[in-house]
Amino acid sequence: MNNIRDLIGLVRDELGLMITLDDIERELDELPGWDSMHLLWLVTQLEQRTGRSVTVIDVLEAPNLESIYGLVASH
Amino acid sequence: MNLTSVADPIDPATPPGPRTADPLLGLAREGRLAAQYPQVRELLTGLPELELQRAGRALARLDPDQVSRQHPAVPSVTVAVTGHGTLSSVIPALTVQLARHGILLRPVLGDFDGYVFELSDPASQIYRCRPDLVLCLLDPSIVFDEIPVPWRPEDVERVAAARLQVIEGLASRFQDGPARGRATLVLNTMPLLREYTGQLIDHLSRARLGVIWREVNIRLLRLAAQNPAVVVLDLDPVLADGVPASDGRLSLYAKAHLTAELLSRYAQQVTPLVRQHLGHSRKALVLDLDETLWGGVLGEDGMDGIEVGDGYRGEAFVSFQRVVKQLGSQGVVLAAVSKNEPELVAAVLREHPRMVLREEDFVQVIANWQPKHENLRRLAESLGLGLDSFVFADDSAYERGLVRQELPAVAVVDLDREPASHRQNLLQEGWFDALELTEEDRERSARYRVEAERQSFLDRFDSIAEYLRALNVRVRIAAATEAEAARVSQLTLRTNQFNLTARRLQPPEVQALIKDPAALVLAVHTGDRFGRNGLVGAVLIRREATAFRIENFLLSCRVFSRGIEEACLLSVLRLARETGVQQVLADYRRTPRNHRVADFYPRHGFVRVTGDEQVTTFRHELAEVAPAPDHVHLVESLEEL
Repeated sequence: MNNIRDLIGLVRDELGLMITLDDIERELDELPGWDSMHLLWLVTQLEQRTGRSVTVIDVLEAPNLESIYGLVASH
Repeated sequence: MNLTSVADPIDPATPPGPRTADPLLGLAREGRLAAQYPQVRELLTGLPELELQRAGRALARLDPDQVSRQHPAVPSVTVAVTGHGTLSSVIPALTVQLARHGILLRPVLGDFDGYVFELSDPASQIYRCRPDLVLCLLDPSIVFDEIPVPWRPEDVERVAAARLQVIEGLASRFQDGPARGRATLVLNTMPLLREYTGQLIDHLSRARLGVIWREVNIRLLRLAAQNPAVVVLDLDPVLADGVPASDGRLSLYAKAHLTAELLSRYAQQVTPLVRQHLGHSRKALVLDLDETLWGGVLGEDGMDGIEVGDGYRGEAFVSFQRVVKQLGSQGVVLAAVSKNEPELVAAVLREHPRMVLREEDFVQVIANWQPKHENLRRLAESLGLGLDSFVFADDSAYERGLVRQELPAVAVVDLDREPASHRQNLLQEGWFDALELTEEDRERSARYRVEAERQSFLDRFDSIAEYLRALNVRVRIAAATEAEAARVSQLTLRTNQFNLTARRLQPPEVQALIKDPAALVLAVHTGDRFGRNGLVGAVLIRREATAFRIENFLLSCRVFSRGIEEACLLSVLRLARETGVQQVLADYRRTPRNHRVADFYPRHGFVRVTGDEQVTTFRHELAEVAPAPDHVHLVESLEEL
């Protein structure tokens, strides 16, 4: 996970949500096809891919993908 | 095993490189997954667990109605999911597991923590969707969330008893509710977590909690015996494989009390239940010999050189043979297909001192140099079984690839060069899982062997008529008893060829029909000079004001074409006339497997009344009822068979 494009690629490929860079600031609930279960899945994926643990509350409270990426990148 | 596969490790039937979900995800991205759905099964073959999960998420996004519209022949199943916590991840897991078996999932996810309400309310969505299965996922927080602080083991006992009472009530309400007889309720045992046991610091209390918790799970497991419509999955063996049960963070923050890994393994356990519900159970296990049942190559190493019984590998093959024998004892029909010299194979099966499996354990042992798929095809014909009831296990990737390619209906078990893994590889999919075993299951192999004797007896006669007379066929057709309901249900679920309407009935549905004064369930038992065949057929009749309607007519493929079906149908006609009704109506519903009985009714004096592509209705006006074929003797009691 080197940049936010990797996160977008992950969501596109694995969740099938056809999002682009323009969507990273949109509220998660506004993303077409978004489901709250995706956040749980994202926690596991981020941990597996970065090898670090993620603060689950921060992911659950993150408003958009940009914030989620910030949680991983700020490590 | 085949010699070329030893010399040449490259398998021509499998593309090189690890298999991934990428081709399937590619179809999904292009929006072609629904259109290409029949390819999905092949695309999922051999995918490792993580790739299956990726594929599952893509498949779960498909609209099942769209798939059904484009591919009406794809079997589908409606599964309602309810429970205590966040359960949505079970859906992609179950979607992909079923897709591996060519089954389309129509999932209905209940409301969060809605199980008590949803199972109690006959109008709730989980009943409205007319489910085939209802999964009610139980987790330990349904008890521990209600424990006061501070707590002692007795508090757990008290709260658990109250919850269990609710669950037992739900199970019995389900049993008598709107899904009665049709759907199965699936419950599960609840894992005991260290985060609970660790809160008790003295070992005596901890042991007490352990006892209480196991008693809770025992009560859950007992529900299955009390309610025929309930199945309780024991999660202990899954947890023993090292699957984490819970992640504290996801449990607390997202109310996902069971991990995605555990739910994925749970979905694997549910899959055989679905297959069984749809009548897709497998009946026969066909095994390779070299490197499958013993180590080495018999043709080269000789009887004294093969590995069975002694040494590390020899012990592993014996333990695998014991598993195979155990399956055989429960009605799985065993056969062997091997590229070998038949005399050598026969000698090993008869004389090798360490073999567990012997000639009499197999209904047929085919040792020759023909391609295995041709042998499998002939075996299916001679046993009267469909290829879709076969499971084929072989250590050679070449042979497996060829069988997969030539006979896609056959389920293929990937054995490898590690014989200690054979047991797990064979058992993993639950190919032969059944809700309940019947007397017929335990005696099935013996019956198929007798069938082989019957065949060789047949070879001694010039004409079929002469043979049938000498065979001395006896038939008893009588109202089914409640004790016979399980076997009648099994016939509806497992019989595909002589099954006039393919209406599948679960045991409680048969029970209900037996008790219903407007219905008549006739059980057919047969015997001949070689012995009794057991309960091999059933006729399901609805009594209407002036008619009998034959809703289904079933006969085990073991006893086709001996005049038995004709004798039974004529008995029904005579019974109808004696009862005073004016006509007998009978339905035939076309399926991919029952075309050979399409003309069963017209051949016996019925005329076609209505019909379309799918269902035809016939009528017999009872003016003239032929006598039973003269070589068939109708008897009154089971003792006369």
